Amino acid sequence: MSGLDLTVRIGAMTMKNPVMVASGIFGYGDEFKGLADYGELGALVLKTITREPRAGNPPACRTAETPAGMVNAIGLENVGLDVFLRDKLPAALEYGANIIASIAGETPEDFAECAGALDGSQVAGIEINISCPNVKKGGMSFGVDAEASSEVVSAVRGATGKPIIAKLTPNVTDIASIAIACEAAGADAISCTNTFSAMVIDVEKRCPLLAAGTGGLSGPAIRPAAVLRVYQVAQAVKCPVIGMGGIWNARDALEFILAGASAVAVGTALYADPAAGNRVLDGICAYLDRHDIGAVGDLVGSVRL
Amino acid sequence: MSGTEAPARGGSGGGGAGAQRVRAEILENERLPGEHRRLLLKAPRIAESARCGQFVHVWCHSPDAFDRPPSAALLRRPYSISGVRPPDGIELLLRVRGSGGRMLAGRSEGEELDVIGPLGNGFYIRESLRRAVVVAGGIGLAPVPFLLQTLISRRVRVVLLVGAACDEMTPYRVERSEAEGATLPQLAALGGEVAFASEAVEGRLVTDLLEERLGELGSEGDEIVAIGPRAMLKRVAEMVGGRLPVQVSLEERMACGVGACRSCVVPSTDGAYKTVCRDGPVFYASEIDWERLDP
Repeated sequence: MSGLDLTVRIGAMTMKNPVMVASGIFGYGDEFKGLADYGELGALVLKTITREPRAGNPPACRTAETPAGMVNAIGLENVGLDVFLRDKLPAALEYGANIIASIAGETPEDFAECAGALDGSQVAGIEINISCPNVKKGGMSFGVDAEASSEVVSAVRGATGKPIIAKLTPNVTDIASIAIACEAAGADAISCTNTFSAMVIDVEKRCPLLAAGTGGLSGPAIRPAAVLRVYQVAQAVKCPVIGMGGIWNARDALEFILAGASAVAVGTALYADPAAGNRVLDGICAYLDRHDIGAVGDLVGSVRL
Repeated sequence: MSGTEAPARGGSGGGGAGAQRVRAEILENERLPGEHRRLLLKAPRIAESARCGQFVHVWCHSPDAFDRPPSAALLRRPYSISGVRPPDGIELLLRVRGSGGRMLAGRSEGEELDVIGPLGNGFYIRESLRRAVVVAGGIGLAPVPFLLQTLISRRVRVVLLVGAACDEMTPYRVERSEAEGATLPQLAALGGEVAFASEAVEGRLVTDLLEERLGELGSEGDEIVAIGPRAMLKRVAEMVGGRLPVQVSLEERMACGVGACRSCVVPSTDGAYKTVCRDGPVFYASEIDWERLDP
C-alpha cells in the first residue's frame, strides 16, 4: 500500500485512511483492546453519550439476530458526559487513532452542552446522533425533520470548533433534504446511515421479541438500501459523506465509495470479525493497486450510470 | 464472608483485556446423548489462562470465510468452557438447538474454529471454602466439569445436584439403583458426590434435592453454586436467603461478548444494569435484583 493516497479530510480532521468504526458497535473502545489493531484505522466513533447517564431499555431482550443482520434496541444506555471524559476517552485515545465522540440529547441545548464540553477534549471530531427522540416534539426523532435536524446541528456548531458530523436516520421519505439542512446548518460531514427501524415477533409468545417493541436493523441485510441513501445524499451535498450500513468486506465498502462516500464505517461485522475494519482496509488497498488508482479520493462518487 | 459481599471473581477483568483471538483446531467433535455435542479444541493460549466459569465466543463458520457475510449465525455464539485438557485443549459442551450449534455439530475434526476467549468473570473460589454444593439444571451442566475439577484440586468437598426435564436433557449417561437413587457416573468419577433427578422419571426438581441438603449446610466453609434456568437460580437464591454465599452463572443473548454492545444486561441490586458477558457470567446471588430479572 506504499504510494497510495488514502487520506480523507473532514473539516480540520485528517484521517490516514477512509475506514472507520461505526458508533454503538465499539462501545467506548477499551472493550475491544487486544482483538485487532484499531490504531491502523482512519477513525473510531465511540458509543453515543448523553449529558447525564442513561440506563437504556429494559433487558431481555435488547438484541435479536435476523437473516444477515441484527435488530437492536439498547436505548442509548451510556455512562454520561462526565464519566466519558474522565474514564472512557483517555482509554480510547490509547489506540492512537482519531477518536470521534457521538452525542445525543433530548433538546438542541443538550447537544450543545455535550459539544461544548467535548470542545476542550482530545476528540478529533463530534458525531451528532440525530436519530434520538426529540422531547419537544413528542419523542419523534430529530432526524426525520429537516428543521429539527438543522436546529440541532446549529446548536452544536455554535458550541464547538471541532469537525462535526451529522448521522442521519434512513427512516425518512427524502433523506437528501435532511442532509442539505444539516450541511447548511454547519455540518462538516454526513454519516449515512443509522439503522433501519424494524420489528421481530416471537410467534410462540405472540409478542415483540425486543423489550422496546421495535429496534434498528443493521448488518448485510441493509447494505443495498444504505448504498442508495448514500448515493442520494452525495448527490445533494458538497461536504464529505461517510457511508455505512452492512459493510462486511472491501467490495461492500467500495460500493459505498463509488456511490459517493469519502469514508466508510464498519459496524455489525466487527461482532463476527473484530478485525473487519483492517480486512476492509487491506482489500481497498488491493483494489486500488489492481486498478492502478493512486488515490482513494479519485474513486469517490465515480459510479457510472 | 457473608452472603452479601461480592469480592472479585476469578477472571481477567473481562472483555478484550486478557482475551485472545485464536484459530483453534477441532481435535474431537463427539456426539453425546440427547442433542448434545462435546468439542475438544486445541487452544493453548486460552487453555493456559482459562478459569472455571469463563466462556469463549465462537464464530460458527469457517475462519477462512470471514470475507463472506453469512445469512444465518451472523453473530458469534457464547459457550462455557467445560474443561481444560492440559497442555493445550479446551472442551465445550453444547446442546444443538439453533443455527450456530447445528453448524458446529457439523464441523469435522481437523478443521479450525475462530475463538475469542477466555471471556468474562469465572467462579470465585475462596481460600476458606470447604464444601460446595453445585446445583445444575439442564444445559447449566456445561461449565460443571471444569468447576468440579477445580474445586476438587483445591480439596473442596463437592456435592453436585443435577436436574433435567428428562434423561435426554443431560449430556451424560444416567445410572439408577434402589440404594443410591439416580446419579451421573461420569461426573461422579471426578471425585464428588452426585445426585440426579429427572422430572420425567423421579418427578422431582433439582431444587427438591437441594431442599433435602439445606439443613446440613450453614458452616463457615459452605457455599452454593447454581447454574441453569433463571427460575431455578431465583428459587435457589430464595431458598438460601442469604444464609450462605450463593454464586450463580447467568446466560443471555450476546452480540459482542466483550461488554461493548450492552445487549446482555441484567438488573443488579445497586440499581445499574450489569453485562452478563463482562461483569458476569458469574455473579453472587446478592448482586442480582431477582424481582426485576426477566424470567
